[in-house]
Amino acid sequence: MLLKIIGGLLIVFASGLLGILFSNRLSLRYRELTNLRRFMQMLETEVTYGATPLPAALYNISNKAEGVIGKFFSTVSDSLTDRSFYTVRDAWNESAEVILEQSSLQRPDIELIKNFGSILGCSDREDQEKHFKLFYLQLRHHEDAAMEEIKKSGKMYRSLGFILGIAIFVVLV
Amino acid sequence: MSSEIKILEVLDYLPKRIRHMVKMLPDATLTEIEEIRLRLGKPLCVAGCGMEIFLDAEGKGPDDPGKAYLVSEDDLKCTLQLVCNFSMYSVEEELKNGFVTVSGGHRVGVCGRTVIEKGKVKTVKDISYMNFRVAKQIIGASDKVIGYLIRSPDCIYNTLIISPPQCGKTTMLRDIIRKLSSGNKATHIKGMKVSLVDERSEIAACSMGIPRNDVGIRTDVLDGCPKAEGIIMMIRSMSPEIIATDEIGRREDADAITDAVNAGVKVVTTIHGSNIEDFLNKQDLIRIQKGVFERYVVLSRKRGVGTLETILDGRFNILYEEKYK
Repeated sequence: MLLKIIGGLLIVFASGLLGILFSNRLSLRYRELTNLRRFMQMLETEVTYGATPLPAALYNISNKAEGVIGKFFSTVSDSLTDRSFYTVRDAWNESAEVILEQSSLQRPDIELIKNFGSILGCSDREDQEKHFKLFYLQLRHHEDAAMEEIKKSGKMYRSLGFILGIAIFVVLV
Repeated sequence: MSSEIKILEVLDYLPKRIRHMVKMLPDATLTEIEEIRLRLGKPLCVAGCGMEIFLDAEGKGPDDPGKAYLVSEDDLKCTLQLVCNFSMYSVEEELKNGFVTVSGGHRVGVCGRTVIEKGKVKTVKDISYMNFRVAKQIIGASDKVIGYLIRSPDCIYNTLIISPPQCGKTTMLRDIIRKLSSGNKATHIKGMKVSLVDERSEIAACSMGIPRNDVGIRTDVLDGCPKAEGIIMMIRSMSPEIIATDEIGRREDADAITDAVNAGVKVVTTIHGSNIEDFLNKQDLIRIQKGVFERYVVLSRKRGVGTLETILDGRFNILYEEKYK
Protein backbone atom coordinates (compact mmCIF):
# COMPACT_ATOMS: atom_id res chain seq x y z
CA MET A 1 0.00 0.00 0.00
CA LEU A 2 2.80 2.37 1.05
CA LEU A 3 4.60 1.69 -2.21
CA LYS A 4 1.47 2.54 -4.14
CA ILE A 5 1.05 5.86 -2.37
CA ILE A 6 4.71 6.81 -2.95
CA GLY A 7 4.44 5.87 -6.64
CA GLY A 8 1.24 7.84 -7.03
CA LEU A 9 2.73 10.93 -5.38
CA LEU A 10 5.68 10.73 -7.75
CA ILE A 11 3.38 10.68 -10.75
CA VAL A 12 1.37 13.66 -9.52
CA PHE A 13 4.58 15.52 -8.70
CA ALA A 14 6.15 14.83 -12.11
CA SER A 15 3.18 15.85 -14.20
CA GLY A 16 2.68 18.94 -12.03
CA LEU A 17 6.29 19.92 -12.73
CA LEU A 18 5.68 19.45 -16.42
CA GLY A 19 2.78 21.91 -16.23
CA ILE A 20 4.92 24.50 -14.45
CA LEU A 21 7.60 24.07 -17.12
CA PHE A 22 5.11 24.85 -19.86
CA SER A 23 3.79 27.93 -18.10
CA ASN A 24 7.36 29.17 -17.55
CA ARG A 25 7.93 29.11 -21.26
CA LEU A 26 5.17 31.63 -21.61
CA SER A 27 6.65 33.99 -19.10
CA LEU A 28 9.95 33.93 -20.99
CA ARG A 29 8.40 35.98 -23.79
CA TYR A 30 7.25 38.51 -21.25
CA ARG A 31 10.70 38.69 -19.71
CA GLU A 32 12.32 39.22 -23.09
CA LEU A 33 9.90 42.01 -23.89
CA THR A 34 10.65 43.84 -20.65
CA ASN A 35 14.35 43.30 -21.29
CA LEU A 36 13.89 44.82 -24.71
CA ARG A 37 12.24 47.85 -23.16
CA ARG A 38 15.12 48.31 -20.76
CA PHE A 39 17.79 48.15 -23.46
CA MET A 40 15.81 50.37 -25.80
CA GLN A 41 15.69 52.94 -23.02
CA MET A 42 19.46 52.73 -22.74
CA LEU A 43 19.70 53.18 -26.49
CA GLU A 44 17.43 56.19 -26.29
CA THR A 45 19.73 57.79 -23.75
CA GLU A 46 22.74 57.14 -25.94
CA VAL A 47 20.95 58.64 -28.92
CA THR A 48 19.18 61.64 -27.46
CA TYR A 49 21.63 62.73 -24.75
CA GLY A 50 24.96 61.32 -25.81
CA ALA A 51 24.42 61.68 -29.57
CA THR A 52 26.65 58.60 -29.85
CA PRO A 53 26.79 57.21 -33.38
CA LEU A 54 24.76 54.02 -33.66
CA PRO A 55 27.51 51.42 -34.12
CA ALA A 56 29.19 52.63 -30.93
CA ALA A 57 25.92 53.06 -29.04
CA LEU A 58 24.70 49.57 -29.90
CA TYR A 59 28.07 48.09 -29.00
CA ASN A 60 28.08 49.83 -25.61
CA ILE A 61 24.67 48.48 -24.76
CA SER A 62 25.33 45.00 -26.00
CA ASN A 63 28.16 44.86 -23.46
CA LYS A 64 25.73 45.50 -20.64
CA ALA A 65 22.87 43.46 -22.01
CA GLU A 66 22.54 39.75 -21.58
CA GLY A 67 20.47 37.29 -23.51
CA VAL A 68 19.11 37.39 -26.98
CA ILE A 69 18.59 41.17 -27.14
CA GLY A 70 22.23 41.81 -26.33
CA LYS A 71 23.24 39.44 -29.07
CA PHE A 72 20.88 41.22 -31.46
CA PHE A 73 22.38 44.63 -30.71
CA SER A 74 25.94 43.44 -31.06
CA THR A 75 25.13 41.79 -34.40
CA VAL A 76 23.66 45.02 -35.76
CA SER A 77 26.65 46.98 -34.50
CA ASP A 78 29.10 44.55 -36.08
CA SER A 79 27.41 44.48 -39.44
CA LEU A 80 27.37 48.28 -39.57
CA THR A 81 31.00 48.59 -38.58
CA ASP A 82 32.30 46.09 -41.10
CA ARG A 83 29.99 47.49 -43.78
CA SER A 84 28.14 44.26 -44.52
CA PHE A 85 25.11 46.50 -44.85
CA TYR A 86 24.87 50.04 -46.08
CA THR A 87 21.79 51.13 -44.19
CA VAL A 88 20.65 50.69 -40.61
CA ARG A 89 17.35 49.30 -41.85
CA ASP A 90 18.95 46.44 -43.74
CA ALA A 91 21.33 45.54 -40.94
CA TRP A 92 18.56 45.76 -38.36
CA ASN A 93 16.07 43.68 -40.36
CA GLU A 94 18.54 40.99 -41.21
CA SER A 95 19.74 40.62 -37.61
CA ALA A 96 16.15 40.62 -36.35
CA GLU A 97 15.29 37.75 -38.68
CA VAL A 98 18.36 35.71 -37.83
CA ILE A 99 18.76 36.34 -34.09
CA LEU A 100 15.29 37.04 -32.77
CA GLU A 101 13.83 34.08 -34.62
CA GLN A 102 15.59 31.84 -32.06
CA SER A 103 14.08 33.65 -29.09
CA SER A 104 10.73 33.20 -27.38
CA LEU A 105 9.49 36.40 -29.02
CA GLN A 106 6.51 35.88 -31.28
CA ARG A 107 6.03 37.03 -34.86
CA PRO A 108 4.20 40.30 -34.03
CA ASP A 109 6.97 41.23 -31.57
CA ILE A 110 9.64 40.73 -34.20
CA GLU A 111 7.67 42.77 -36.73
CA LEU A 112 7.41 45.61 -34.23
CA ILE A 113 11.17 45.58 -33.69
CA LYS A 114 11.82 45.43 -37.42
CA ASN A 115 9.65 48.46 -38.06
CA PHE A 116 11.74 50.50 -35.72
CA GLY A 117 14.86 49.83 -37.78
CA SER A 118 13.67 52.03 -40.61
CA ILE A 119 13.45 55.02 -38.27
CA LEU A 120 16.50 54.57 -36.10
CA GLY A 121 19.27 57.04 -36.91
CA CYS A 122 17.36 58.71 -39.72
CA SER A 123 16.43 62.00 -38.11
CA ASP A 124 17.50 64.54 -35.51
CA ARG A 125 17.51 63.91 -31.79
CA GLU A 126 14.15 65.47 -31.08
CA ASP A 127 12.49 63.34 -33.71
CA GLN A 128 14.27 60.18 -32.57
CA GLU A 129 13.00 60.77 -29.06
CA LYS A 130 9.41 60.92 -30.32
CA HIS A 131 9.85 57.67 -32.20
CA PHE A 132 11.27 56.00 -29.10
CA LYS A 133 8.24 57.13 -27.11
CA LEU A 134 5.92 55.73 -29.75
CA PHE A 135 7.84 52.48 -29.74
CA TYR A 136 7.39 52.14 -25.97
CA LEU A 137 3.65 52.65 -26.35
CA GLN A 138 3.42 49.89 -28.91
CA LEU A 139 5.69 47.70 -26.83
CA ARG A 140 3.32 48.16 -23.90
CA HIS A 141 0.54 46.49 -25.89
CA HIS A 142 2.76 43.51 -26.59
CA GLU A 143 3.78 43.28 -22.94
CA ASP A 144 0.14 43.41 -21.85
CA ALA A 145 -0.75 40.67 -24.29
CA ALA A 146 2.11 38.53 -23.01
CA MET A 147 1.03 39.13 -19.42
CA GLU A 148 -2.55 38.24 -20.26
CA GLU A 149 -1.40 34.99 -21.76
CA ILE A 150 0.62 34.13 -18.69
CA LYS A 151 -2.37 34.72 -16.46
CA LYS A 152 -4.75 32.73 -18.62
CA SER A 153 -2.77 29.88 -20.10
CA GLY A 154 -0.09 29.81 -17.42
CA LYS A 155 -2.54 28.97 -14.70
CA MET A 156 -4.25 26.48 -16.98
CA TYR A 157 -1.02 24.62 -17.75
CA ARG A 158 -0.13 24.39 -14.11
CA SER A 159 -3.49 23.10 -12.91
CA LEU A 160 -3.75 20.84 -15.93
CA GLY A 161 -0.45 19.24 -14.95
CA PHE A 162 -1.65 18.36 -11.47
CA ILE A 163 -5.08 17.23 -12.61
CA LEU A 164 -3.52 14.98 -15.20
CA GLY A 165 -1.23 13.52 -12.56
CA ILE A 166 -4.14 12.80 -10.24
CA ALA A 167 -6.17 11.30 -13.10
CA ILE A 168 -3.35 8.92 -13.97
CA PHE A 169 -3.04 8.00 -10.29
CA VAL A 170 -6.75 7.26 -10.03
CA VAL A 171 -6.75 5.16 -13.20
CA LEU A 172 -3.72 3.19 -12.04
CA VAL A 173 -5.18 2.51 -8.60
CA MET B 1 52.42 63.60 -50.43
CA SER B 2 50.00 60.82 -49.87
CA SER B 3 47.03 62.25 -51.66
CA GLU B 4 46.32 58.98 -53.38
CA ILE B 5 45.64 57.34 -50.07
CA LYS B 6 43.53 60.37 -49.18
CA ILE B 7 41.03 59.75 -51.93
CA LEU B 8 40.74 56.12 -50.90
CA GLU B 9 39.71 57.31 -47.45
CA VAL B 10 36.86 59.26 -49.00
CA LEU B 11 35.73 56.26 -51.01
CA ASP B 12 34.87 54.50 -47.76
CA TYR B 13 31.89 56.81 -47.48
CA LEU B 14 30.46 56.06 -50.90
CA PRO B 15 28.08 53.26 -51.83
CA LYS B 16 29.65 50.17 -53.35
CA ARG B 17 28.62 50.94 -56.92
CA ILE B 18 30.01 54.45 -56.99
CA ARG B 19 33.13 53.44 -55.14
CA HIS B 20 33.72 50.83 -57.78
CA MET B 21 33.34 53.34 -60.60
CA VAL B 22 35.71 55.86 -59.07
CA LYS B 23 38.29 53.19 -58.31
CA MET B 24 38.45 52.23 -61.99
CA LEU B 25 40.02 55.57 -62.83
CA PRO B 26 43.75 55.52 -63.48
CA ASP B 27 45.96 56.28 -60.46
CA ALA B 28 47.22 59.51 -61.97
CA THR B 29 43.67 60.84 -62.16
CA LEU B 30 42.84 59.61 -58.66
CA THR B 31 45.64 61.66 -57.13
CA GLU B 32 44.32 64.79 -58.80
CA ILE B 33 40.70 64.47 -57.71
CA GLU B 34 39.62 67.27 -55.40
CA GLU B 35 35.90 66.77 -55.48
CA ILE B 36 33.36 64.02 -56.00
CA ARG B 37 29.92 65.41 -56.67
CA LEU B 38 26.62 63.58 -56.33
CA ARG B 39 23.50 65.27 -57.61
CA LEU B 40 20.17 63.48 -57.61
CA GLY B 41 19.28 62.33 -61.11
CA LYS B 42 22.34 64.02 -62.58
CA PRO B 43 25.59 62.52 -63.85
CA LEU B 44 28.15 61.43 -61.28
CA CYS B 45 31.06 63.82 -61.48
CA VAL B 46 34.62 63.95 -60.22
CA ALA B 47 36.65 67.11 -60.52
CA GLY B 48 40.05 68.48 -59.67
CA CYS B 49 42.98 70.41 -61.06
CA GLY B 50 40.85 72.02 -63.74
CA MET B 51 39.42 68.79 -65.07
CA GLU B 52 35.90 67.47 -64.80
CA ILE B 53 34.97 63.88 -65.55
CA PHE B 54 31.48 62.44 -65.70
CA LEU B 55 31.72 58.76 -64.87
CA ASP B 56 29.75 56.00 -66.53
CA ALA B 57 29.03 52.56 -65.16
CA GLU B 58 32.36 51.21 -66.40
CA GLY B 59 34.26 53.96 -64.59
CA LYS B 60 35.25 55.70 -67.78
CA GLY B 61 34.58 59.27 -68.72
CA PRO B 62 32.32 59.36 -71.76
CA ASP B 63 32.55 62.54 -73.80
CA ASP B 64 28.83 62.99 -73.66
CA PRO B 65 27.57 63.65 -70.10
CA GLY B 66 24.26 62.14 -71.21
CA LYS B 67 25.84 58.69 -71.20
CA ALA B 68 27.22 59.02 -67.71
CA TYR B 69 25.90 57.23 -64.65
CA LEU B 70 22.96 59.05 -63.07
CA VAL B 71 23.01 59.27 -59.30
CA SER B 72 19.92 57.62 -57.79
CA GLU B 73 17.99 58.41 -54.67
CA ASP B 74 19.24 55.19 -53.13
CA ASP B 75 22.85 56.23 -53.71
CA LEU B 76 22.31 59.50 -51.89
CA LYS B 77 20.44 57.91 -48.98
CA CYS B 78 23.12 55.32 -48.57
CA THR B 79 25.92 57.87 -48.81
CA LEU B 80 24.26 60.04 -46.23
CA GLN B 81 24.02 57.14 -43.81
CA LEU B 82 27.66 56.29 -44.29
CA VAL B 83 28.80 59.89 -43.95
CA CYS B 84 26.98 60.44 -40.69
CA ASN B 85 27.93 56.99 -39.41
CA PHE B 86 24.32 55.77 -39.61
CA SER B 87 23.24 58.42 -37.16
CA MET B 88 21.78 61.65 -38.46
CA TYR B 89 21.24 62.82 -34.91
CA SER B 90 24.95 62.76 -34.15
CA VAL B 91 25.76 65.32 -36.86
CA GLU B 92 22.80 67.62 -36.22
CA GLU B 93 24.96 70.66 -35.51
CA GLU B 94 27.17 70.06 -38.52
CA LEU B 95 24.18 69.68 -40.82
CA LYS B 96 22.99 73.12 -39.78
CA ASN B 97 26.17 74.49 -41.31
CA GLY B 98 25.71 72.44 -44.43
CA PHE B 99 28.64 70.09 -44.13
CA VAL B 100 29.95 67.13 -42.21
CA THR B 101 33.63 66.53 -41.57
CA VAL B 102 34.53 62.86 -41.82
CA SER B 103 37.63 61.26 -40.42
CA GLY B 104 40.72 62.27 -42.35
CA GLY B 105 39.53 65.87 -42.41
CA HIS B 106 37.54 65.50 -45.59
CA ARG B 107 34.57 67.71 -45.98
CA VAL B 108 31.21 66.54 -47.22
CA GLY B 109 28.95 69.40 -48.22
CA VAL B 110 25.23 68.64 -48.26
CA CYS B 111 22.40 70.56 -49.74
CA GLY B 112 18.70 69.99 -50.10
CA ARG B 113 15.66 71.50 -48.47
CA THR B 114 16.24 73.50 -45.31
CA VAL B 115 13.93 73.45 -42.33
CA ILE B 116 13.74 76.85 -40.68
CA GLU B 117 12.88 77.43 -37.06
CA LYS B 118 12.89 80.88 -35.46
CA GLY B 119 14.61 82.36 -38.49
CA LYS B 120 17.54 79.94 -38.29
CA VAL B 121 18.31 76.83 -40.23
CA LYS B 122 17.25 73.90 -38.04
CA THR B 123 18.30 71.12 -40.33
CA VAL B 124 18.62 70.11 -43.95
CA LYS B 125 16.27 67.44 -45.21
CA ASP B 126 15.60 65.79 -48.57
CA ILE B 127 19.32 65.92 -49.21
CA SER B 128 19.80 65.69 -52.94
CA TYR B 129 23.23 67.21 -53.51
CA MET B 130 26.46 66.10 -51.93
CA ASN B 131 29.97 67.23 -52.54
CA PHE B 132 32.98 65.34 -51.21
CA ARG B 133 35.93 67.65 -50.90
CA VAL B 134 39.14 65.75 -50.51
CA ALA B 135 41.28 67.39 -47.87
CA LYS B 136 44.83 67.65 -48.97
CA GLN B 137 47.26 68.62 -46.36
CA ILE B 138 50.37 69.52 -48.23
CA ILE B 139 53.39 69.58 -45.99
CA GLY B 140 55.73 72.20 -47.37
CA ALA B 141 53.09 74.33 -49.10
CA SER B 142 54.47 77.42 -47.41
CA ASP B 143 58.19 76.80 -47.95
CA LYS B 144 58.52 79.75 -50.33
CA VAL B 145 56.57 82.12 -48.14
CA ILE B 146 57.68 81.40 -44.61
CA GLY B 147 60.97 83.31 -44.89
CA TYR B 148 59.13 86.54 -45.56
CA LEU B 149 56.97 86.21 -42.48
CA ILE B 150 59.68 85.91 -39.85
CA ARG B 151 60.84 89.07 -38.14
CA SER B 152 63.14 87.39 -35.61
CA PRO B 153 63.33 83.77 -34.45
CA ASP B 154 60.59 84.28 -31.87
CA CYS B 155 58.49 86.91 -33.60
CA ILE B 156 56.60 87.07 -36.87
CA TYR B 157 54.81 89.70 -38.90
CA ASN B 158 51.03 89.96 -38.82
CA THR B 159 50.12 88.21 -42.03
CA LEU B 160 47.11 88.17 -44.31
CA ILE B 161 46.78 85.59 -47.06
CA ILE B 162 44.60 86.81 -49.92
CA SER B 163 43.26 84.27 -52.38
CA PRO B 164 40.16 83.35 -54.36
CA PRO B 165 38.36 80.17 -53.23
CA GLN B 166 40.00 76.86 -54.11
CA CYS B 167 43.49 78.31 -54.50
CA GLY B 168 45.03 76.70 -51.48
CA LYS B 169 44.85 79.41 -48.85
CA THR B 170 43.72 77.07 -46.11
CA THR B 171 46.41 74.60 -47.11
CA MET B 172 49.01 77.35 -46.94
CA LEU B 173 47.72 78.67 -43.63
CA ARG B 174 47.82 75.18 -42.15
CA ASP B 175 51.38 74.69 -43.23
CA ILE B 176 52.44 78.09 -41.87
CA ILE B 177 50.82 77.26 -38.53
CA ARG B 178 52.55 73.90 -38.42
CA LYS B 179 55.94 75.46 -39.12
CA LEU B 180 55.57 78.29 -36.61
CA SER B 181 54.21 76.02 -33.93
CA SER B 182 56.72 73.20 -34.25
CA GLY B 183 59.70 75.45 -34.92
CA ASN B 184 62.73 74.53 -36.94
CA LYS B 185 66.37 75.03 -36.06
CA ALA B 186 67.53 75.00 -39.66
CA THR B 187 65.30 77.91 -40.63
CA HIS B 188 65.81 79.67 -37.30
CA ILE B 189 62.21 79.51 -36.17
CA LYS B 190 61.71 79.04 -32.48
CA GLY B 191 58.46 77.23 -31.85
CA MET B 192 55.71 79.59 -30.78
CA LYS B 193 52.44 79.05 -28.98
CA VAL B 194 49.72 79.18 -31.58
CA SER B 195 46.02 79.45 -30.82
CA LEU B 196 43.98 78.27 -33.74
CA VAL B 197 40.37 79.38 -33.95
CA ASP B 198 38.99 76.90 -36.43
CA GLU B 199 35.44 78.06 -37.02
CA ARG B 200 34.71 75.75 -39.92
CA SER B 201 36.88 72.84 -38.75
CA GLU B 202 38.78 73.12 -41.96
CA ILE B 203 42.30 73.83 -40.81
CA ALA B 204 42.85 71.23 -38.14
CA ALA B 205 39.84 69.15 -39.26
CA CYS B 206 39.04 68.04 -35.74
CA SER B 207 36.79 65.12 -35.24
CA MET B 208 35.85 64.26 -31.66
CA GLY B 209 38.25 67.01 -30.54
CA ILE B 210 41.35 65.51 -32.11
CA PRO B 211 43.01 67.37 -35.02
CA ARG B 212 43.21 65.09 -38.03
CA ASN B 213 45.72 67.34 -39.73
CA ASP B 214 49.19 68.12 -38.42
CA VAL B 215 49.03 71.64 -37.05
CA GLY B 216 52.20 71.55 -34.99
CA ILE B 217 53.14 70.71 -31.43
CA ARG B 218 52.41 74.02 -29.72
CA THR B 219 48.99 74.60 -31.24
CA ASP B 220 45.78 74.82 -29.24
CA VAL B 221 42.68 74.36 -31.34
CA LEU B 222 39.34 75.92 -30.55
CA ASP B 223 37.05 74.00 -32.84
CA GLY B 224 33.83 75.28 -34.35
CA CYS B 225 33.82 78.59 -32.48
CA PRO B 226 32.85 81.86 -34.19
CA LYS B 227 36.08 83.72 -34.96
CA ALA B 228 35.39 86.98 -33.16
CA GLU B 229 34.42 85.30 -29.89
CA GLY B 230 37.06 82.64 -30.28
CA ILE B 231 39.91 85.11 -30.69
CA ILE B 232 38.98 86.89 -27.46
CA MET B 233 38.55 83.58 -25.61
CA MET B 234 41.93 82.34 -26.74
CA ILE B 235 43.72 85.56 -25.75
CA ARG B 236 42.26 85.30 -22.28
CA SER B 237 42.69 81.63 -21.71
CA MET B 238 45.63 80.23 -23.65
CA SER B 239 48.21 83.07 -23.63
CA PRO B 240 49.06 82.68 -27.30
CA GLU B 241 51.95 84.27 -29.14
CA ILE B 242 50.19 83.82 -32.44
CA ILE B 243 46.49 83.66 -33.26
CA ALA B 244 45.56 81.92 -36.47
CA THR B 245 42.16 81.87 -38.07
CA ASP B 246 40.55 81.39 -41.44
CA GLU B 247 38.46 83.60 -43.74
CA ILE B 248 37.82 86.83 -41.93
CA GLY B 249 35.19 89.11 -43.41
CA ARG B 250 32.78 90.50 -40.86
CA ARG B 251 33.06 93.65 -38.81
CA GLU B 252 33.33 91.67 -35.55
CA ASP B 253 36.30 89.79 -36.99
CA ALA B 254 38.07 93.08 -37.65
CA ASP B 255 37.39 94.26 -34.10
CA ALA B 256 38.65 91.02 -32.60
CA ILE B 257 41.81 91.16 -34.69
CA THR B 258 42.46 94.74 -33.59
CA ASP B 259 42.07 93.59 -29.99
CA ALA B 260 44.50 90.77 -30.54
CA VAL B 261 47.12 93.01 -32.15
CA ASN B 262 46.71 95.55 -29.37
CA ALA B 263 47.23 92.78 -26.85
CA GLY B 264 50.59 92.08 -28.44
CA VAL B 265 49.57 88.87 -30.10
CA LYS B 266 50.58 88.22 -33.70
CA VAL B 267 47.89 87.31 -36.18
CA VAL B 268 47.93 85.04 -39.23
CA THR B 269 44.71 84.89 -41.18
CA THR B 270 43.19 84.60 -44.64
CA ILE B 271 40.58 86.38 -46.73
CA HIS B 272 38.78 85.84 -50.02
CA GLY B 273 39.93 88.08 -52.84
CA SER B 274 42.16 88.03 -55.86
CA ASN B 275 44.40 91.02 -55.11
CA ILE B 276 45.18 93.60 -52.47
CA GLU B 277 42.50 96.00 -53.79
CA ASP B 278 39.78 93.45 -53.06
CA PHE B 279 40.83 93.55 -49.42
CA LEU B 280 41.00 97.36 -49.33
CA ASN B 281 37.50 97.62 -50.82
CA LYS B 282 35.83 95.66 -48.02
CA GLN B 283 33.86 98.20 -46.01
CA ASP B 284 33.44 95.97 -42.99
CA LEU B 285 37.16 95.59 -42.52
CA ILE B 286 38.05 99.28 -42.56
CA ARG B 287 39.57 99.10 -39.07
CA ILE B 288 42.26 96.66 -40.10
CA GLN B 289 43.07 97.95 -43.56
CA LYS B 290 45.91 100.18 -42.39
CA GLY B 291 48.65 99.51 -39.94
CA VAL B 292 47.59 96.07 -38.76
CA PHE B 293 49.02 93.63 -41.24
CA GLU B 294 52.69 93.74 -42.06
CA ARG B 295 52.75 91.08 -44.73
CA TYR B 296 50.24 90.32 -47.48
CA VAL B 297 50.53 87.07 -49.41
CA VAL B 298 48.48 86.86 -52.62
CA LEU B 299 47.71 83.47 -54.17
CA SER B 300 46.11 82.38 -57.44
CA ARG B 301 45.80 79.21 -59.47
CA LYS B 302 47.44 80.48 -62.63
CA ARG B 303 50.04 77.74 -62.44
CA GLY B 304 48.00 75.24 -60.53
CA VAL B 305 46.54 75.49 -57.07
CA GLY B 306 48.58 77.55 -54.64
CA THR B 307 50.52 79.69 -57.12
CA LEU B 308 52.26 82.44 -55.19
CA GLU B 309 51.54 85.77 -56.90
CA THR B 310 53.02 88.49 -54.74
CA ILE B 311 54.12 89.25 -51.21
CA LEU B 312 53.66 92.81 -50.00
CA ASP B 313 54.79 94.52 -46.81
CA GLY B 314 52.69 96.75 -44.57
CA ARG B 315 53.11 99.75 -46.87
CA PHE B 316 52.24 97.69 -49.94
CA ASN B 317 55.79 97.59 -51.24
CA ILE B 318 56.42 94.49 -53.31
CA LEU B 319 58.78 92.03 -51.65
CA TYR B 320 58.22 89.19 -54.07
CA GLU B 321 56.50 88.94 -57.41
CA GLU B 322 55.94 85.94 -59.61
CA LYS B 323 57.33 86.55 -63.05
CA TYR B 324 55.48 84.96 -65.95
CA LYS B 325 57.48 84.35 -69.07
